[in-house]
Parts: sequence; C-alpha cells; structure tokens
Amino acid sequence: MTQDTLSAWDDLPSDSDSVPPRCLSVTVRGPWGHFRRIEGNIVKQTYRIIPRTTVAGLLAAVLGIGRDDYYDLFAPEESAIAIEPIEPLRTVNMPMNTLSTANEAMQSLNSRGKVSVKLPDPTKLRQQHNYEVLVDPAYRLYVWFANDDRFGELAAMLEDGRSHYVPSLGLSEHLAELDYHGISEVETGPTEGLVSVDSAVPNAVERVIPEKEARCQVEESPAFMTADAGGRTTTGFTSYAYNPDAGPLTVRNPETAIVDGKTVMFV
Amino acid sequence: MLSPEEFEKQYPENELAEELPDKPISSLRDIQYLYGKLYTLATAGGGKYASYLTPDSARDFVDEEDSLVVVRIDVSGDEPRLETSDRRGPVWITKYTKELIPKVAHCKYPAARGIDHSVSHQAGKNSDPEKLARYATERLTKWATDDVVQSVADEHEDGWIIDALADLGADESVLDTIEESVTTQLEGSTSALLTVQVKTEPDGEYQWPGDADLDVFMAGMRRRKLSKLVSKGQASDSSGEATDLVTGDRTRTVGTAEDPLNYFLGKQLEKFPGLDPNEAWRTHPISEDAAITLMNAETFVDACTYRTFGANVYYLPYFFGTPKPEKTYSLYGMLYDVATASDTSERLTPVEHVYRKRETEPIEDRLRFYISAIMPHQMSRYDVFGETMNGLIQYPASLQSAHRTILKTTVFRDSRERTAALPTHENWSLLVGEDFLGTVASGWYFLQTFPEGDDDTHASADDRRIQALVAVLSGEAIPVSMLLEAYVERIIDESRDDENGFPGLRVAAQYAQLCALAHADHDFLEVRDENDTLQQITNPPTYKSRTMKSGREIAIPDGGFAGEEKIETFIEDTPALAENDERCASFLLGALVGAVGNYQEYVQERSTTLVDQFPVKAVTRNRVKKVAEDAIEKAVTYTRQEKKEGRVYPGTKFDYIVERLRKTIIQPDPDDWTIDTDDLRFYYALGVTYGMNDRPVKTNGADK
Repeated sequence: MTQDTLSAWDDLPSDSDSVPPRCLSVTVRGPWGHFRRIEGNIVKQTYRIIPRTTVAGLLAAVLGIGRDDYYDLFAPEESAIAIEPIEPLRTVNMPMNTLSTANEAMQSLNSRGKVSVKLPDPTKLRQQHNYEVLVDPAYRLYVWFANDDRFGELAAMLEDGRSHYVPSLGLSEHLAELDYHGISEVETGPTEGLVSVDSAVPNAVERVIPEKEARCQVEESPAFMTADAGGRTTTGFTSYAYNPDAGPLTVRNPETAIVDGKTVMFV
Repeated sequence: MLSPEEFEKQYPENELAEELPDKPISSLRDIQYLYGKLYTLATAGGGKYASYLTPDSARDFVDEEDSLVVVRIDVSGDEPRLETSDRRGPVWITKYTKELIPKVAHCKYPAARGIDHSVSHQAGKNSDPEKLARYATERLTKWATDDVVQSVADEHEDGWIIDALADLGADESVLDTIEESVTTQLEGSTSALLTVQVKTEPDGEYQWPGDADLDVFMAGMRRRKLSKLVSKGQASDSSGEATDLVTGDRTRTVGTAEDPLNYFLGKQLEKFPGLDPNEAWRTHPISEDAAITLMNAETFVDACTYRTFGANVYYLPYFFGTPKPEKTYSLYGMLYDVATASDTSERLTPVEHVYRKRETEPIEDRLRFYISAIMPHQMSRYDVFGETMNGLIQYPASLQSAHRTILKTTVFRDSRERTAALPTHENWSLLVGEDFLGTVASGWYFLQTFPEGDDDTHASADDRRIQALVAVLSGEAIPVSMLLEAYVERIIDESRDDENGFPGLRVAAQYAQLCALAHADHDFLEVRDENDTLQQITNPPTYKSRTMKSGREIAIPDGGFAGEEKIETFIEDTPALAENDERCASFLLGALVGAVGNYQEYVQERSTTLVDQFPVKAVTRNRVKKVAEDAIEKAVTYTRQEKKEGRVYPGTKFDYIVERLRKTIIQPDPDDWTIDTDDLRFYYALGVTYGMNDRPVKTNGADK
C-alpha cells in the first residue's frame, strides 16, 4: 500500500468513503451458481446477488491465498467491491443426491492413528435434497484493494486469464468463467437527487424509489469476515436492493461512483 | 393478546419505536424477529421473563373442564410436605382460565420426550389419568432435579424451594399420594397443564410459579430455555463471539436455537466447520435475545400459513424498509386478524385478509409478503419448493381484475344470436364470479389448469403449479412455453377419462387464465426460449366486453350469418391467431373437428365422433393434413346428405370454418410447419372447444 493511495482515500469527503480511486472490473458468469443463504442448512436456498464474502473467496482463489488468510485484504477500509448483475436473476430447484453426515452414517479412516478423518460412507444410500440454483448467473465485479501489490497481482492474473485455484460460483461444481475488462479510474458519481444506479444497491434500502416498471428486491448477505483461534466468523452483513431483471434502480441521494460510464455503489 | 386498539394505546409511537429494529427488513430472520417482538409485546406485556414464556401454546385448554392439575406443596415448616389439611388437598384439579395464564407461566419445549422449560408442563391432548398422574409427579422428580434448574437452585437466594421440591420427589409415598389423588379425581382422559403451587409462609397464601415472590421458578425456566440454545442433539456448547445476524451487534452468539420454520437444524453437520455441531454458531450466529425473540414468532408465522398441493404455504406480510411505528400498528392489525380468526372455514389467506380490509383504501405500496411453499417430509426435514421475499398484493389483485374483465367479454358471454366463443359453467370457479384473489393466492388458480402431479395431491420440487404460484405472487413472468406444456398435459390427462369426453370447460378455464395473464397490468408472460412466435400469445387479446343484457345489441346488417361474424371477430381480436397462420390453422382445424363432432353427436346421435377420433394427443404437425382431410371430407359428406334430404343452402356445411381453414392451412404447407407441438395442440384444443360450443342461441343442436 503506498502513501498516495492512502491519502487519496483519506481526502475523500467522509460521507462518501465508499468510493475508491480506481478499480479493476471483471465479469464472472457460469451456467449455474449457488450461494447458500445462512438462515438455512436443511433447506438450501440461494442468494440472488453473489455475497461480498463469496467475491472475496473467488478472487482469493484466483490469487491462490489460503483459507482464513485473505479476510484482511477484503476488510472494510482495505477494499471496495461493487456488484452489478448483468443477466436476469432466476433460479430452478435442483434435486441433488447427497450422503448423510449423521454420526451413524460416518466412517472413520485411521481412527486410532494420530491423524484421523471421518467421512460419509460412500456405500450408503443417498438422500435427495433440493438445491435452489441460479441459472446463468452473471455479475460484473468492480474491485479495489488498498494493497497495491495484491491489486496489481490480481489484475495481472486476470489479464493473463490465469487462476491459482479453479474459480466457481458458490459450489465447486458450478464453475465460473472470468472475463477481465481492465483497470479504470473511478469518478465520484452523483450523490444528490434521484440517481439511476446500475449495480446492486448496498445498505440503502430506505432510499430506493419503488417504481412500477422496475422490480426491486432486497436481501441481506455476509460481507466481511475475520479469523479467530477456532476458525472464522462473519463480522458484517450487507443488505442489497437489486433489480432481478438486471436493470437499474432509482435511488435518492446515493453515494455513487462512475466506472466506465456505469453508475455503481461500492461497499 | 392485545387487540390492535389496545396495542396502540399500550405502546405509543415513541415507546414502540424503541422496541423496533433499526435496520430494513431484508431477510426471513428479520421478519421473524419483528413478529417475535410484536407477539411478545402483545401477549406478555413487559417483565424480564415475558419473552421466554409461551402463553399461546396451551390456548386450546383455556376454559375446558379439568384442564389444570396443581400439585400443592407447603414448604413453610421445617420439612416440606404435600398439602393435606385444606379443602383442596395435595392435588387441585381445576379449569385453566385466561386469568391463570400469567400465573401458570408456561414455557413449552417442543421435544418429543422430556419436560417443558417451566415447572408448568403441557400434557398431550386427551391424556389418560395415569399419564397425567405421572406428569404431576415429574414436577418434583424431573423438573426440580434437572441439571440446569439445579444450577439455578444452587445460586438463587430462594433456591431452597426447588431443593424442597426435589426432596419431596425422592419420597415414594409422596409420589404415590400425588398419583392416587390425580387418578381418583379424574374420571377419564383430559387435556391439561400440570403445575405446582407453593406456600412459603405458615400463615401465607399458596402462590403460583408466575407470582413475583417465586422468582426462582422463573429463573429456572429462563436458564433452561437458554441452555437449549447452545446444547441440543450432539452439541454440548455451541456458542462464541460473532456478529448477530439479526441486529448486527458483535456479541455472544448461539448455534442451536430453534427456527420456527425449521430451515436451520443442528443435525446438518456438513454445514458446520469440521462437521462439529459445537461450531454451529459460526454458520448461523444469533444472539441469545434475538434467538428467543425469533422463537416467539411462531404464533404469527403459524397463523399465516395454509396447505395447498400437500405443501405448507407461508405468507408473511411486512413493510418494505426499516419498521416504523405507524406501519407497524398496521402490520400488527393484520397479524392479529389472521391469528385470531376463529372459524377455520372462514379463514382467508393473509392476502385476502389484507385486501378485504383495505379494499376501500388504496393498497399500501410498501406492503410485501414473504412467501414460501414448503414440503414437510418428516417431523423436521423440510424442502422449500418456491420462495420469495417480494410478494406484492398488487400482483394477484391485477390478475384478479384482468380475469374478471375477460369473463365479461364476447369470449365468455353469448350474443343474442350466437353462443359465446367458449363455454362457461356455474360450477367452474375460473369461468364465473368476481372473486379470484383467494383463488390465486391459495394456488387453486393453477391447480385448476395445470397437471395434477404424480401422486395427485403432493407437489414435487419442480412442480409447475408452485412455480406459477410463486411467480404470480412475486411478479415474476411465467414462460409461455411452460404454460402451454402444462395446459396440454392436463388436457391429455383428462381426455383419457372416456366418460366425460372432451374437457371443453377445462380448456375454457385455461384460456381464460392465459388471457388474464396476458391482459393484466403486469407482465406475467414471457417468451424465454428461441421461439419468437410465442410472443403473439403474450399480446393481450382485444375482445369487446359484453354486458349481461345482450338483448339490445345491434343486429348484424344484411342478414349476415352470426357464426361467420363471430369466428372472424374472434380471430381478429386474438393476436395469437391473427398474426400466426400455423396457429390459426390449428385452431380452425380444431373448430371444424369440434363442429363436425357436435353434429355427429347431436344430429346423427353417434357415440364416437371426430373429436374422439382425433384427440389432442394424436394431433401433431405430421398429422395435421390427414386430420384436415378427414374433417373436410366429413363436412362434404354431411352436406351432400342434407342436400339430398332437401335442405337448401349455398356451399358446404360449416363453410365459414372450412373456407378459412383451406386458406390458412396451405401457407405454409403443414409439412413445413415449425409450430411447437404444445402450441399446436393447445390451440387445436381451443378450436375443438370453440367448435363444440358454437351454435345459435335458443335452439340446441344443428345449425345452418
């Protein structure tokens, strides 16, 4: 992180600190996607907007950063991400056959050894569970890190079409395709009056103007994480308002930024 | 529960504002939390234990005979003893009344085996005296000795009272006395709560667990309930510091809280880090307070549900954005109405409730519904088949209005000379009437027109009825291809049934629905696949409306033939037909088959007709030519026959259909048709229905 970037960050008016100086943008898409909503585990419903934590995991996979090692890179003051759904958000129910993880259905490998692993017994009958799955999801992501090295590294990886781990949309079987658009300057967008916002609208549900022509939906998903001694926890959630038909929403007095002619909101 | 007026009086705006969450409703958990808050405020008033109690769980027992069994214990002397000296004796069996609810202070724990959290315990409905006797003794033997309750006894200044109960419970003769007292007093099975009363002062009164002086009972209940938030099933202590998913506060969170909708269970180990249920709080972090509040949503959540297609459909109303007092009073009013609607036959869906109440006022545009269709498989294994946070009452309301409109047009109402294009029947709810909101909201709307599913009643995960229901309520568009596919499947299913013949009324109902979906203010139909020709189906038809009294209609000039006029107008006003020759030819072919079939049935009195000969499932692009040839040939044959018998008319029978069919069916040649089979079949079926229903008014049977 250079001093320049920091001061550019600091110089911005305090109420619009969600606008980074520049960002890279990349479209992620795939035939399927599943971002399990946290209020369910027995039922597997999906978020419509890829959660910010999932974006972090996806980009960390490109960079090859290990689990529990990338949360600081994506921390609130250290990064900015805007998400624009570019295809209509629709879902189907997909029944999948899964193995039981109940204790009695697990088998231990090397149970007396120093390292022992418990696995579901693959010879057991499967149970069918229903997954709500996004069909042809596609999002354009606008990404900035305060950490210049990492930012450059990510841009280079995406430029080359390389990735350390295989990128996917929520579940490993839902492979993602990444289409890099380059680095752009970010201008401070309009913040007054009624503004048409192209990206999902974070933390401003109150200011969205309901319109007959544009459907507006809302969901809350995990945004930030931290690691502790025993694992990781969510430290912040973001509520997104979005147009499920992938069009813009009209928002009153939002904190917007303009990137490549698109009006987006970072968080 | 406080009435909406009492609620508003008891909690003025500024006080209510303090209780409400200060962030927008953006998840199911947020709605449950708000419901739980309102429920707690409305039932238990204030008090530090209010949110832990479940005053509604034994509501059915109130004012029933023998619905409260009270074990009476005197701990005022040196040794605790059962009350034996006064009139009521060791076990007092009485009536559970409204006034006793706060005194009994019940807190249910929905465990298959085990005891409730409070010393007061709810027995199953119609338990026999022996069972109740055992439950009565368990107030001493199980509740008082419970590990968690004991930990309170150790710390609380009045802990000795619990110890006294436990000591009494260790004495077999005491237990025998209780059992005997219960069984001799009860004549048969009853539904009852079991509780205790305790006398702590020699000259004092007997007190209830909910009385202020017996705080130790409440403290025990509270700790027991809280303990289950972290230890249940295989989890022994699932808690840790994280961000509460409801309030967003960094706090101690718990992992095994109950979810009134059972979306989250402690058994789903693969979703916990290291398959360890003690880590459940990491994947579903919720604070103790929020968890308790969520559990209190149950009464309202349960009230806002009903069954359809074997699934539970939940409709949870809420206002978009951050809850404000004014809207919250209104929300409370809705929930109260639904929760207190006593007569189940009168029970409306929450959508209807809200709509009826507000029919006179403009519909609030921030009102939304969380809607989900849930299939329960086992006690606690659920599947969500369809779900949305974004149901709007405007969507079903606009569909209702479009459906009303279509039924009043020439398509469903006879003219003076000629029948309507399609038949109606008073028993068919999609073909008569005004009130379609409940029909739409309950799922009946698609139950009537879509195939019935594999085992008749139960929906499957990809059930199109549920997809269509959720789509209509959340303003999603339904793909036309799916609709046609479902319609045709239902028609074919029903045509198998030989006794009823061709399901013309079913087709009419489907067509009314299709027109309503196309006609509604909102875009309910879309073309998702490559087939752009389906676009024409989504264009609303422009049928003239016909008032009930059609007598004043202007007669057709020049003595024109009403049947000709009717089919011409019908095609012109239907973009799907007017703009697509292949579809129009399919319709005309059906109309001819229907008309000839009718003639065969009513004039010639034949039992097998062209309609039976060419059922919907037998019609494909390849067979169109053959069907057309046969139908035209029949028309020609009957013309010759009638003319031989001396009837005089120009051309052939049904030539207003035949001539049109001849013109449209050759461009292009059916061998080169590209129309989808479902599309072709549905409009063929519509034609058959049209043809069978087409006759002069007042005279049945043959025409022309």
